[in-house]
Amino acid sequence: MKANSEISLMKGNEALAEAALRAGMQAYFGYPITPQSEILEYLAVHGTKRGAVILQAESELAAINMVYGAAGAGARVMISSSSPGISLMQEGISYMASAEIPFLIVNVQRGGPGLGTIQPSQGDYFQATKGGGHGDYRLIVLAPASVQEMADFVFDGFRLAEKYRVGTMILADGALGQMMEKVVQPPMGSLPLAEKPWATAGKPPSRERNILTSLFIQPEKMEEVNLKLQRKYREIQSEVRYEAIQVEDADIILVAFGLAARISQKALELARHKGIRVGLVRPITLYPFPSAILSQIALSAEAFLVVEMNAGQMLEDVELAVRGEKPVHFKGRMGGMLPSPEEVLREIESIAAVHAANSELIS
Amino acid sequence: MSTLVDDLLNQTRTAEQAKYTSKDFQSDQDVRWCPGCGDYSILAQTQRVMPDLGIPKHKVVFVSGIGCSSRFPYYMDTYGFHSIHGRATAIASGIKMARPDLSVWVVTGDGDGMSIGGNHLIHLLRRNLNIKVLLFNNQIYGLTKGQYSPTSELGKVTKSTPYGSIDYPFNPASLALGASSTFVARTMDRDPKHLQAILKRAADHRGTAFVEVYQNCNVFNDGAFFQFTEKESKDDNVVFLEDGKPLVFGKERDKGIRLNGFSPEVVSLKDGKWSVNDLLVHNEKDTTLSFILADMTYKPSLPRPVGIFLAINRPTYEEEMTRQISFAKEKRGEGDMSKLLNSGETWVIN
Ligand SMILES: Cc1ncc(C[n+]2csc(CCOP(=O)(O)OP(=O)(O)O)c2C)c(N)n1
Ligand code: SF4
Ligand SMILES: [Mg+2]
Repeated sequence: MKANSEISLMKGNEALAEAALRAGMQAYFGYPITPQSEILEYLAVHGTKRGAVILQAESELAAINMVYGAAGAGARVMISSSSPGISLMQEGISYMASAEIPFLIVNVQRGGPGLGTIQPSQGDYFQATKGGGHGDYRLIVLAPASVQEMADFVFDGFRLAEKYRVGTMILADGALGQMMEKVVQPPMGSLPLAEKPWATAGKPPSRERNILTSLFIQPEKMEEVNLKLQRKYREIQSEVRYEAIQVEDADIILVAFGLAARISQKALELARHKGIRVGLVRPITLYPFPSAILSQIALSAEAFLVVEMNAGQMLEDVELAVRGEKPVHFKGRMGGMLPSPEEVLREIESIAAVHAANSELIS
Repeated sequence: MSTLVDDLLNQTRTAEQAKYTSKDFQSDQDVRWCPGCGDYSILAQTQRVMPDLGIPKHKVVFVSGIGCSSRFPYYMDTYGFHSIHGRATAIASGIKMARPDLSVWVVTGDGDGMSIGGNHLIHLLRRNLNIKVLLFNNQIYGLTKGQYSPTSELGKVTKSTPYGSIDYPFNPASLALGASSTFVARTMDRDPKHLQAILKRAADHRGTAFVEVYQNCNVFNDGAFFQFTEKESKDDNVVFLEDGKPLVFGKERDKGIRLNGFSPEVVSLKDGKWSVNDLLVHNEKDTTLSFILADMTYKPSLPRPVGIFLAINRPTYEEEMTRQISFAKEKRGEGDMSKLLNSGETWVIN
């Protein structure tokens, strides 16, 4: 792999790993788990020889705390795992949120709960966007839908994490991790390292010593810390990203992220072919969630259909955004099963049929 | 005075003197390990040993974490848990404390037991619950397709250590001894007789029994133990520990282990300088000796010790727990919740 931007055919996991090196990642800690072990393995080969610290820890619990240490000392750090491993990391994530440590975490989701299956899933949406660990904290959550985005979001992830001193999560799934697509890798070193005056990287005489902690015994102080975090999360609302496809004239709006959005886009094309006016909103940031655009579309569209590879998790955020203005339907598959475009199309058709019947009644 | 645990154990031994055969312990599941995997032999020997233990099948539970080795409970026609990566020892502890009458077996791998589960493992050993721990050591992560494990040797090239491992490996026997395990043994998949004998001894031990089993992963770490398991090299590279016997080894039984201070060394019995009488004599009850023997493990000049390093008695956790519960009940009485709620200052609100 040369250091300039170039097109290559890569697996999602490997594209992400290569991007991390190009984004100047200095340390990576991981633990093998399917379907994301290629990230660790790719980095072990290509990262070590490019000067990065690549370490297989004794567990995900150890790995996330190594992240706490390395990122706290000012390094640009990434960690990756798949669902069960991410669950184990929640304690460290919560502590780092409080201590305001920036880091990038990648979840290549598989079907759960429990050990579940190694097949792709989106079952960790709640965990990723609502907390997962304890306390009032958030991660910025980016949802890639292609191998290209697996690579691109590494850059966004580091940039946002360091800008706000928060954790950023790339919420992918096993299919995106394993699929091969063409990817343009950005050039090496295109994300410069910024000063981190808060880091525990030695004490110059010019300032107080830095202590990283998440312990604030006095409730007044703890509330202050919380208020500061909340101010930060409000600021982060400005980072909302989404993709809107053919929503202008649409009666039915599909809402889907990641792989489910790709499936939905296919269903959209099939429906349009049949003359049903369907649009698609694909949230790219799951936190902050693109509520405003959905609220706005709710004024013009007739119905929403949320498509997910889970039992209906983002569904709740869509319902909140739509505020009962229009019906919100749901199509989901679980446990590593993918909804097919045809399945989604059938759902669209039945919504369209009900909608047509209703409008006849009204007119 | 017999404890509750005694009663329960006796019950399990006598209630059903069913005469099982190994077939009775084979489940209807297809065994799904790679052809040639060492796990098959460990499964077969375990199924062979189980009938001799005289424990009714419905009193036996196998608990595993995650890994190739951890598929074991599916194949045993007993109760089973296929649990969480690294947590089998903790889950087994819960089972044993809730049901001391069950015969509880943990099956774990070198990664499952000593990497992610290292913490729970040492605490189980220290507590000495009557649980049998079989650690299948193949010095690799099998299930996730070949990353290094905490027993992989220095310099080991794997998918996650392409330039060689720089992590110093655990010696499972020393780790178990360091955690105050009351029974520590090592055996091998390719020595069925020895494996069976060790399993029986482990089963009979009253307390936590830790058994490391060298297991060949012929797909991701083939031949890791061939030096110790294959006919041509075994005799010269392995010293079998036998209680009360001097440490003799070699194809011609012409070599022995002698203690020079605290350090074991190999001596020849051929040239007349040393005789069997000069050799170290094994004593399973000697904790200090067990440390010395286990420490021979990674020393290239010494043969690999295989067998029982230590087998001593210490009260089990469940015995102590039962004793404490009876003591507390006797001392303070059974307790009465409504009495407690109505004690001290109480009000009646109308
Ligand atoms: C929390 C969690 N992390 C990672 C994994 C993936 N995983 C399953 S088994 C295993 C290691 C297996 O190695 P070992 O314990 O040596 O067993 P073997 O397959 O070699 O028998 C790993 C990393 C998992 N299932 N759960
Ligand atoms: S990968 Fe190795 S340990 Fe796992 S079943 Fe195959 S041979 Fe056995
Ligand atoms: Mg192993």
